[in-house]
Amino acid sequence: MIFWRDWKELLAVLLLPIILVVVLNFAFAGLFGDDDKVSMDLQLAIVNQDDETEAMEQLNEKLVNEAALGEQEVTAIVETAGDIQPIQLLSDYLESDELKDWVTVHSLEEKEAAEKVKAGDLDGMLIIPQGYTADSLYASFAGKSPTNSLIYKMEEETIDSSALQQLIQGFINQLNYQFAIQEITDGADIDVKLPEGGFEDLGTEHDFTITQYFTISMGALFALFVVTTVATKTGVEIRSQVFNRILLTNSHPMRFLIGKMVSTIILVILQIIFVLIVSHFILGVFPDRSLAFWVGILVMIVLLALVMSGLAAIFTAILLRMRNIDAANGIFMLVLLLLGTLGGGFVPIYMMPGWLQEIGAWTPNGLFLSMLTDWVQFENLSFIVQPSILLIGTFLLFTFIGLALFPKRGKAQ
Amino acid sequence: MLETINLSKSFKGKKVVQDLNFYLNDGESVGLLGPNGAGKSTTISMISTLIKPTSGKIILNGVDAVHKPGEIRSVSGVVPQELALYQELSAYENLKFFGSIYKLKGTELEKAIQQALEFVGLEDRKKDLVKIYSGGMKRRLNIAAALLHRPKILILDEPTVGIDPQSRNHILEAVRALNQQEGTTILYTSHYMEEVEQLCDRLYIMDHGKVIAAGTKEELLSILSTEDKIKVELSRIDEDIVQQVETIEGVRKIEVAELQLRIIAAKGSNLISKLVHLTEQHHIQLINFHTESPSLEDVFLHLTGRKLRD
Repeated sequence: MIFWRDWKELLAVLLLPIILVVVLNFAFAGLFGDDDKVSMDLQLAIVNQDDETEAMEQLNEKLVNEAALGEQEVTAIVETAGDIQPIQLLSDYLESDELKDWVTVHSLEEKEAAEKVKAGDLDGMLIIPQGYTADSLYASFAGKSPTNSLIYKMEEETIDSSALQQLIQGFINQLNYQFAIQEITDGADIDVKLPEGGFEDLGTEHDFTITQYFTISMGALFALFVVTTVATKTGVEIRSQVFNRILLTNSHPMRFLIGKMVSTIILVILQIIFVLIVSHFILGVFPDRSLAFWVGILVMIVLLALVMSGLAAIFTAILLRMRNIDAANGIFMLVLLLLGTLGGGFVPIYMMPGWLQEIGAWTPNGLFLSMLTDWVQFENLSFIVQPSILLIGTFLLFTFIGLALFPKRGKAQ
Repeated sequence: MLETINLSKSFKGKKVVQDLNFYLNDGESVGLLGPNGAGKSTTISMISTLIKPTSGKIILNGVDAVHKPGEIRSVSGVVPQELALYQELSAYENLKFFGSIYKLKGTELEKAIQQALEFVGLEDRKKDLVKIYSGGMKRRLNIAAALLHRPKILILDEPTVGIDPQSRNHILEAVRALNQQEGTTILYTSHYMEEVEQLCDRLYIMDHGKVIAAGTKEELLSILSTEDKIKVELSRIDEDIVQQVETIEGVRKIEVAELQLRIIAAKGSNLISKLVHLTEQHHIQLINFHTESPSLEDVFLHLTGRKLRD
């Protein structure tokens, strides 16, 4: 009730995240396509060191010398393999309708490509090594692993360069898969298909939009604000002797701590649900989703609320131990800023360096964001089991720390 | 009966309360008097079990309350010096919250709230938020919150600091009524002499963490029974006459305030006739004079060498 009466705090926690979701949604819309789907301009250099005209001759030699096949058999294979041109397939793949809008291919010599990648003009370079065609065809017909594979090079790992790497890996996987099918079917009716370009390759059932990202990340960020608000209110209770008055009623000090945890759980759940629902109605964040999807979201919110209550327990215990309440509140704000930044609350997580992203994935809000990202895309329980266990573990750890730090007599310093 | 034996408290090696021996009989109203920093609030905090003494004992009806703080907590109500209230809640909501922590429920809780509000005269304003209350109203509500569970002992730590005379009178009347009509035992700390004089049967005077005098008002005043306090108003005052008054046998202290002399002298020193004689010599008109009985303020001044509110 005290929280509800503090309308400034209430407005900050309820409306600010929604305002931020709307503002950030429009501010970052330029980075993404009109339909909010990821849109990029990836610059890729292709360095082709292979001579395709000699490929069939090389394949013939390999089949005779290494596979020890008969002349008739070798001739049949070479004839069939002539229809398959892995480099052309790669080229078609990169220039397909799905990819051409966001991948620009430059055919360069290795030296020039390396310089441009280093200078940041290109996101990465793909080297097709000498003998690649013959080797990959031989590997597929002989059922062996290729000894010569495509080489992808990038200067540093960024979201763009990683996306390129994923695209190329997707192509290689698809090619290997097709060759494997070909082997099973004994080479009959060979029809090597191109992989489909774009992030759909990852197998998502639903697109993950920037609006969804900001809605979830702001919800999680402001859940942290709720924890600091609960801590600030505790500070006021200690300073104004209300806490002492509660102690003097002979009520067990632990009731105070549990009360703080329960109120944090309720406030976080209500706050995130409010942000999600209002954002959904304003921006249509989660269109056409099933009841099961929303139930899943609710379960994850409850898990985050549990972790936040554990954090509130730690903050409360620290406040009761510290003499300087202002210093304690300052520390809590620092923790909030740190968790908020690492967990993708202030800057989209994919814009951060890889190592920071890895650390961020261990923060409660980062974990929540990653879990919801998976849930929004796949709606698959198997994707969220592990992060859910991690969140429950974090809740238990935080609660244990909070209880351990809580003064035995419950006395404020 | 509540009793403390050699109660002491140190903070960072500095003794704030030293060897305090003190008792409080059932139904009594006892004042703890002393200037700011005398150790009154620390004493109250120890007695109300909020802080643990460094040494010494607190005994309530034969039970060691230091190790069993619940004994005191269950029978006492504490009115802290600070306003221990939620500013964002109404008076009613505050009392409902604190009453529920005292495990009061349903009609019992509603009745307790109603009685407490009536007692402090806030029933008409019970729905207003505390933050819009005047200082005096907040102080009254602060008392009401300590009365919900009908405590046998009410401990008040300077409950009238910084409020208007009307609210102050209301509080004093309410405390007196609790003591005299309900039989509530009162422990009242203040640095307002007139409040403790008005309310308390017995007094403890504290200074620098120690009890320097204790007893009934009369017993304390008897400390100064060998002295008279005389105020003299003259048509003019010069240095010469002040010096001559100081030399009169029996005069112990003299203060000058505009055209007034305040003199403390030994009883039976025949000061008035000597003063009349002196003023005639100096051609000064003696306009007015009267003899006052010493007050507790004078007792405090006598014991500590300084005024209570210095």
